[in-house]
Amino acid sequence: MWIVFKKELKEILRDKKTLFFMIALPLLIIPAIGGVVGYFSVKAVTEAEEKILKVSIVNPNAAPQITEELQRSEFFEIVPIESGVTPEQWVKSKGADFVLTMPDSYTAPLLESNQRVFVIHLNDAGLNLVERRLKEIIEPYLNKQQQTAFQTLNLSEEQSAGLIEPFVFDKIDVADKRENIGEKVGGMLTYFIFILCLQGAMMPAADLGAGEKERGTLETLLISPIERKYLVLGKFLTIALAGVMTALITVLSMAIWGIVLSQGMAIQFVAEFMGAINAIDFVLIFFMLIPIVSILASILLSISTYARSFKEAQSYMAPLVFVVIVPTLMSSLPGIELTGGWAWVPLTNVALAIKELIKGTMDYYQLIPIFVSSMAIALGTLSFCVYWFNKEKVLFR
Amino acid sequence: MIEVQGLQKRFAVENPKKLSEQEKKDPRLKGRFFRSVRDVSFQCEEGCVLGLLGPNGAGKTTTLRMLSTALSPDSGSIFIDGVDVLKAPIEARKRIGFLSGSTGLYGRLTGRENMAYFGELHGMSKAAVEERIDELADMLDLHTFLDRRCENFSTGMKQKTAIARTVIHSPKVVVLDEPTTGLDIMAAQTVLSFVRHLKSLGTPVIFSTHHLAEVSELCDRVCVINEGKTMFDDTLNAFTQLSENSLNDAFLSALNMKEA
Repeated sequence: MWIVFKKELKEILRDKKTLFFMIALPLLIIPAIGGVVGYFSVKAVTEAEEKILKVSIVNPNAAPQITEELQRSEFFEIVPIESGVTPEQWVKSKGADFVLTMPDSYTAPLLESNQRVFVIHLNDAGLNLVERRLKEIIEPYLNKQQQTAFQTLNLSEEQSAGLIEPFVFDKIDVADKRENIGEKVGGMLTYFIFILCLQGAMMPAADLGAGEKERGTLETLLISPIERKYLVLGKFLTIALAGVMTALITVLSMAIWGIVLSQGMAIQFVAEFMGAINAIDFVLIFFMLIPIVSILASILLSISTYARSFKEAQSYMAPLVFVVIVPTLMSSLPGIELTGGWAWVPLTNVALAIKELIKGTMDYYQLIPIFVSSMAIALGTLSFCVYWFNKEKVLFR
Repeated sequence: MIEVQGLQKRFAVENPKKLSEQEKKDPRLKGRFFRSVRDVSFQCEEGCVLGLLGPNGAGKTTTLRMLSTALSPDSGSIFIDGVDVLKAPIEARKRIGFLSGSTGLYGRLTGRENMAYFGELHGMSKAAVEERIDELADMLDLHTFLDRRCENFSTGMKQKTAIARTVIHSPKVVVLDEPTTGLDIMAAQTVLSFVRHLKSLGTPVIFSTHHLAEVSELCDRVCVINEGKTMFDDTLNAFTQLSENSLNDAFLSALNMKEA
């Protein structure tokens, strides 16, 4: 078994294609893609923030203060609307970024008139800051009108606050920072880890089964004087190791890039977050990944043994991504927690447990059903793989 | 010594309805099974080279795969050097060297590593493997490319390395399945010289081929298989006497003979 394992590992380490998926992709390409996406989103937001918005005002004299403010503001450029053109047509023909219609009741005291309705015609499909910028200008004036109304009614500050907001929630969060972040980061992280374990194992799996058939080396290997179960185990270990390594490299790369790219407070935050998770939790996460990777590796090897060629193996393997995604997504659904039946559901239980470990709220007794069910399935899939590797109709299709 | 008696092997046909009319007429098709090998027997003594002949699809490869333990026969017996292949396949594998025309090498390993891998799988020590590789490299002239990766090898280099790998564990018998198919003249010559060398060492060799010239050049015995049955099993001399005209005619006569 170790002879096979050593040889397969040597071959993998010499295969640029596999190394690319195992090391280069998580280490450089994924952060690079993240960086590019981040750069362009920041650029888009900055552009939107700096853009001077062209506004046409209908009924400007109804709210002279607002009209003046808009004229003074460096973020707006007032353009007159063409006569005979409706606001909608004007915006569609790109005459202005938006058309603002002032309410007639603006100057009347609040208590004597209705709610002020500012009509805005705009194309709201893309990123724009129309509402935010208008609010900044209009709000102070209307707040003043509101206060005048409250004074007229002889209401105290508290009464006014009660009228504006009849009730509020005073939330006192007992969850610490780690639990909060863990809930958000945990789900995403497990999803990434699982998919990468699968991705990292896929290429070597296709190579170790179907690849042997395609190259014509399988037959020679089958007639070597070692039992087929050891051939399977040697190959299985290589695939599983590739999967785990890819996941580890990815997580490490995420941590390293996170620290490198973040500055000031962010470093503090990453360090605090990582520091809160103790070494035992990390080790447990790693140990729980072993049965998961074993399940994936044996399924992949079974598929690969069945396929006639590398290409055929890859096309059979592609749907496996859904097999991994669905249970992982289940773990992030509300109401699904690591208790009772869910602790026995493969993949979902590990995803939930990893989240709990990151949050620091793990009930360690739940490790028993997790390991029992995951190991049982892993052993089952591995036994099937050995059985499959002994089937003549699979090997000589 | 190799003794094969009454070999039979059938394969399940996944969907008999999908077979062509011609395939349905094949006498070997019975219900949901295709009886690829129905009754094959032959033997090969020490120092003897047996040529296994037959048209495409006659059952040669299936027979040789059973001989090499890659497939298990449904019935019949195979003895290699006194070892019952069916009862002790692992033991038998240690005694067999198997090479086919479509055999490949691990491209990302060097020639030396390819040989060493199979040597180790056969339970040889590292020192023994090294010694044997040196011996084979001298014999097959491998030194110039032994430590290069196989993916860059020419066909001839690949074939020489595959031969060396086949005999790395000094097998007691050698089985070659169409070893010269698809090879150029030089590479084919390497294989034939290797068979001659094995013969000189007294190692029994069974090889299947479509080239009758190779048979007349190397073989002591000829076994002709047609539709999964042994039709002829005798000496080369008896085979050539089947027709006065040519070996091709002799082969065609053997195909039409009653079962051997």
